[in-house]
Formats: sequence, structure tokens, C-alpha cells
Amino acid sequence: MRMKKTLAVTVTALLAMLAMSSCGSDDDNTPQSGGPAKADIRVWLNGADTPQEARDWLKTTFEDQNPGSTLTIEEQQWEGLVERLTTALTSESETPDVVEVGNTQAPTFTSAGAFSDLTSALPDLGGDDLLQGFVDGATADGKTYAVPYYAGSKYVFYRKDLFAAAGLTVPTTTDEFVQTAIALKQANPSPANFSGFWLPGQDWRNGVTFVWNDGGDLAVDDNGTWQGSLSSPESIAGLKTVQQLFQQASGAPKDGNEADPQTPFCNNEIGMMSAPGWVTGLIQDPDTGCPDMMKNVGVFAMPGADGSPAPVLLGGSDIAISAKSPNQDLAQKAVALMLSDDYQSILAANGLTPAKTSLASQLGTDEFAQATIAAATNAKLTPAAPGWATVEGSRILEDLFVDIAKGGDVEKLAKAADDRMSQELG
Amino acid sequence: MTTSGPSRPNRPGSLLPLGLLVPAVAALALALGYPLVRQVILSLQEFGLAQQFGKPAEWVGLQNYRDLVADPYLWKVVVRSVVFCLVNAALTLVLGVGVALLMRQMSKPIRILVQSGLLLAWAMPVLAALTVWQWLFDTQYGIVNWLLTHLGPDFAGHSWLLEPLSFFFVATVIVVWMSVPFVAFTVYAALTQVPEDLIEAAELDGAGPWQRLRAVILPTVRPVLLVVALLQVIWDLRVFTQIYVLQKAGGVTRDTNLLGTYIYRLGIGGGDFGTAAAVAIFMLVLTVVLTAPYVRMMLRQEDAA
Repeated sequence: MRMKKTLAVTVTALLAMLAMSSCGSDDDNTPQSGGPAKADIRVWLNGADTPQEARDWLKTTFEDQNPGSTLTIEEQQWEGLVERLTTALTSESETPDVVEVGNTQAPTFTSAGAFSDLTSALPDLGGDDLLQGFVDGATADGKTYAVPYYAGSKYVFYRKDLFAAAGLTVPTTTDEFVQTAIALKQANPSPANFSGFWLPGQDWRNGVTFVWNDGGDLAVDDNGTWQGSLSSPESIAGLKTVQQLFQQASGAPKDGNEADPQTPFCNNEIGMMSAPGWVTGLIQDPDTGCPDMMKNVGVFAMPGADGSPAPVLLGGSDIAISAKSPNQDLAQKAVALMLSDDYQSILAANGLTPAKTSLASQLGTDEFAQATIAAATNAKLTPAAPGWATVEGSRILEDLFVDIAKGGDVEKLAKAADDRMSQELG
Repeated sequence: MTTSGPSRPNRPGSLLPLGLLVPAVAALALALGYPLVRQVILSLQEFGLAQQFGKPAEWVGLQNYRDLVADPYLWKVVVRSVVFCLVNAALTLVLGVGVALLMRQMSKPIRILVQSGLLLAWAMPVLAALTVWQWLFDTQYGIVNWLLTHLGPDFAGHSWLLEPLSFFFVATVIVVWMSVPFVAFTVYAALTQVPEDLIEAAELDGAGPWQRLRAVILPTVRPVLLVVALLQVIWDLRVFTQIYVLQKAGGVTRDTNLLGTYIYRLGIGGGDFGTAAAVAIFMLVLTVVLTAPYVRMMLRQEDAA
């Protein structure tokens, strides 16, 4: 007994001591310019999107222009990025200097003050030539905190040989697309997990196309408060189309995510899939893909209800400087290089829509470039709500689409998802 | 404050015992005390992403706790976590003690082989192990589905993580697999201390194997079993990595959250650090409540010794 009491006294005394000492220890100085002339600049790039050629160019050029400094690229996974940025950006000693952030994730961090103000540098970085939608998305209270890095909307990859074998042609409307996907699945009973249209359960970023296509939306601004709107009649119609695709056209795991689409594609398990343009590179790569398959690969922009391209999620990235980074000046030089014509041309040559509109012609004229350009004509952003990234961080939409894939009641699920979204956004 | 027992000479005024306590207390204060205090303060604030980057936080008193207690989802997660914890701790203990008893009967080379295997499983980094398990249970290309399909039932394309029960089955397999070696080694070490002549005497008195186990062996290793059980309950209640990684691979996050992942989704995922801290405090209390009987039993044993 006595031992316990002693312990209790010690712990209480300890806590009291700590409570007093922890006040006022918060460190909130945020350098916005300056920094040493020489440093190691850490750049976070996400996924395999940025081609190796661009990475090499960036490192070499930066180190040539800034003798004594080095630039290290640290590759991050897209999956879980919001969480990682939330923790890394707050620590002055741990923060990367330059970060790539998904264009739909940027508003959450800009309004929280995680990024340095780039407004005054904007003219030098490209000014009006930059993709305006991206700049707007990264602007809060008249200040711009991030600049576009690249854009790219998903388009449909399909197997010409399987289309020919099943007597199918490239669909020109959404209805035709759904029918083609189902017919393709029926024409290929083996393997059992064959997908007429590959749609893993967690892939809401592709699923949202059908919601928008029927006039619905994820969330709407209702007099200043953002609210989920997946249970509107239009959204429900779109979600029912998604459920039909899940159940009749897709053989992908009902709870899988959309990472590594090239694996099932190269394994002859996919008739059509909607993927970013740079997946071409993964299919062509002998290590990750199947170069021999390329002759059978065709692409087209997902068709909408009336035959023009469907509203697809405008994908892409922003580049920002961590507000806590001690190397603001050098970080800005790195950002300037990443937006230079040379660097952006490398991105364009690899199928990514460059951040500057004047460089769009660098995409080329082949089938892939045409699909890229067509898909971008009707691309849409996720809701511009300041708290949107927290909706993504708490996986509300992943959960909803997996439940829909499982065959759940769409109306009930959409209502529940709306409630949770409104709670996160409100 | 007296720290020595009444039977020992008690020299008042000597500061040495207290001085000797200082390093341990300082280390505890630094590693546990500071985060704990920070946590309590956080749980009483409205603390979001903007506060994380320097905005002053608003003091909300017990509002975070009130919101939580009123949220039926928290209770669902609590029940789920407690059941998961107890099932896993019990399974781990039964299997671990079983393996330890088996090791007693093994010839030396076999025992070394088994021990090496256990040690490898124990030493394997969690994420590496999880990647392998994930591949084993993969919906499309997993060897578990392939084997089962070859054995008869059609498991092609079966998703193990889709239904919550099945998800927790996989999680249990992984968690138990990772913790059995620790229990097996610890209990085996304790078993080597059981006097052989005691067992022999029991055998001569006509005790069967089951009676020998229950009346002689288990009571002798009881203190060790208690400590191991206590640790297992704590570990299995705060399980995080396994659930987090499996959630990324599949399943519905909301239906498979345990306390650890729930706190993470609330705080780091959803940017609501205040509420997340409140859940964490709640979890701490739950741990204390769940483990209090063990701690009391252990203290009583120490007093008796």
C-alpha cells in the first residue's frame, strides 16, 4: 500500500511541475525569407509521377547554380500524404523545404498557414501563364501560397485486341461506355477477376465522374457552410451507375485501391481502365510493365452523357515552400527551377500537362496527347471547401465507395456520407 | 516519505535513496510526463490544423469530452477494441504457453530450430512482416486464396478484408503471430525454474499430466504469467500499425477502426487534434481500468514475497 501511495505522490508532483514548465514553450516563429547561402534542400515529390529525367535535371542544375548547396529528392507515397504533411510541416527541424501537394489537398494547408507566401514571386514564376485554376485553388485571403506543378486528368486505356474480339467499338456516350464495359466483361469470362472496366472499391476519384456527369456533386456551398450533397437525386443517379459498374463490369477487389493499375493490366485482367497519362510509362517499362502489350493499347477521353468529354477529376499537383523551412531563399530557387521552361518541357514530354499554358504544345500530337487535352476540357476540381483535405484524410469517400461496391443501399449510404462530410467541413 | 520496509533499519535524514531515484524519475518525466501533460491540455482545447501552425488555441473546457461521450460511434469503437484486445491477449497467452510447454519436451536440436523460428518472427520489422501478410491474403494474387481454391472451395478473388469480421480475423492472425514468440520465450524461461523433483513427486503421488500442469507447473510460473498477460492486454489494446496497414489495403475504415486508428483518423487525418487527444485520454483511462486487477494482484504478490 505504502509503495502505491509514494508512487501517486511522485507522479502528481511530477505532473504539476511539468504543467508549469510546458507553458510558453511553444515555438511559433515562421521564417518567410532569408536563410543561409548554403544548405541541403529537401524536396518531397510524390509517387512515380515525376519522371527520373526531370529529377536528375533538377538536382544537377540546382547544384550547379548554387555551389556548396545540395538538393535531395525524397519520394513520398500519395497514400497518406495529408497525414504526413500535417506532422512534418510543423517541425522546423524536420520539415522538407519544398513539397509537392495534390491540388485538391492544397487549400487545407494554405488556410492553416503551413506554406510560405509566394504572391510576390508569382510574376517571376510564370504569372498569368500559370494554370489559373490551380493558382486560385492555392490562394487564400488574396495571398498565393502554392504554384501549379503539373496537371493531368485521367483518361481511358483500352485493349484494342479485346474490343475487336468482342466486336465492340470505342463508346461515345456514358450509356454506351457502361454497356461496353459490361459486354466486355461478359465476353471474357476467364479469368474470373477480369474487368470490363477496372474499378477498385476505394477509387472514388474515378467514381465521382459519374456523379458529376448526372449533375450531382460531392459537396456544395450553402450560404457559407459546406455540406455534403451526395444524397441529392442527381448524385444518387450517378452513384447507382457506379454500383452497376462495380457489380457488372469490374473484377477489381471491392475494397482495393487504385495503386499499380499496370499489374492487372499487364496480366490480361483489364479491358478498360481510367488512369493518369503517366501510367503509359509504367506499361512501357520492362521492369514494371509489359512493353509488348503497347501495340494493343488505345486511349480515349471518358465520354460524357451528351458525347463530349465527361467531367473528370482535374488531377495535378502544386508546389509549395514549407513556412517553417529555415532555407526560404534557396527553396524559392528550387521552385523557380521546377517551373522553368526546361523542366516543364520534360514533364510535358512524359505526358503530364505542364504548369504553364504556353508549353501545352510540348505534349505532342499523338493519341495520348489528344486524350490528355480532351480530358482536360471538362475537368472539375473537388469542392473548394477549406477543410476538404480532412474529408480525404478521414477516408469518408473511400468508405462510401467500398460500401457501394459491396452492394449496399446507395441512398442510405450517401445520406450517411453526407452527414459525415458536413461534420468535417462545417 | 519512507521507501524502505519496516523490517529494515530506517535511517531518517539520509537523502541517498531519494537521490538514487532522481535519474529514473527524470527519464520518466521527460519521456512520459511531458507528452501526457501536453495531451491533457490539448484535450481541453479546440485545436485544429491552423493551431498546429501557430494560431492560438481556444480553451473549450470539457466540451471535447462531452461531444465524445454523446457520440455512439465512440462506444462502438471502444467495445470493438476491448473485445479485440481480450480475444487477442487470450489467444496469444494460450498459444504462447502451449509452445513453451512443448519446448520442454523437445530434444535440443529441435528446440533450437523452433526457438530460431520464433526469434525470427519476433525480430521481423512490423512493416516488413505486414507486407508479407498482406501479400499472402491479397484478393487477386494472394497465396491463401490460391491454396484454398486448389483444395476445393472457390476462394478466387475472395476479399479477406471486405467484411469487418473477416478483417479482424486476419488482423488477429497477424497480431497473435507477432506476439506468441515473446510469451513463449518468457514462459519457457520461467518453466526452466520449476523444480524437477516437485514434478516427479507429484507424478509419484499419482497426478496425471493435466493435474501436474494445473496444480504444480502453472502455480509456480504464475507471477510470470501475470506480467505477460498484463503486457499483452496493454499491447493489444493500443494496437495500431497492423490495423492501419490493413485498412489501407482494403476493408471499410469506419467499420474496422480500433481506438488507435480512430485517434489517428480524428487527429492526424481529420485535423481535429483536440478531440483526438480526448479520445487518447479516454483510452488511457480504459487501459488503467482493464489492467488494474492485474496490477493489484502483482502488488499483493510482491507484498507477500
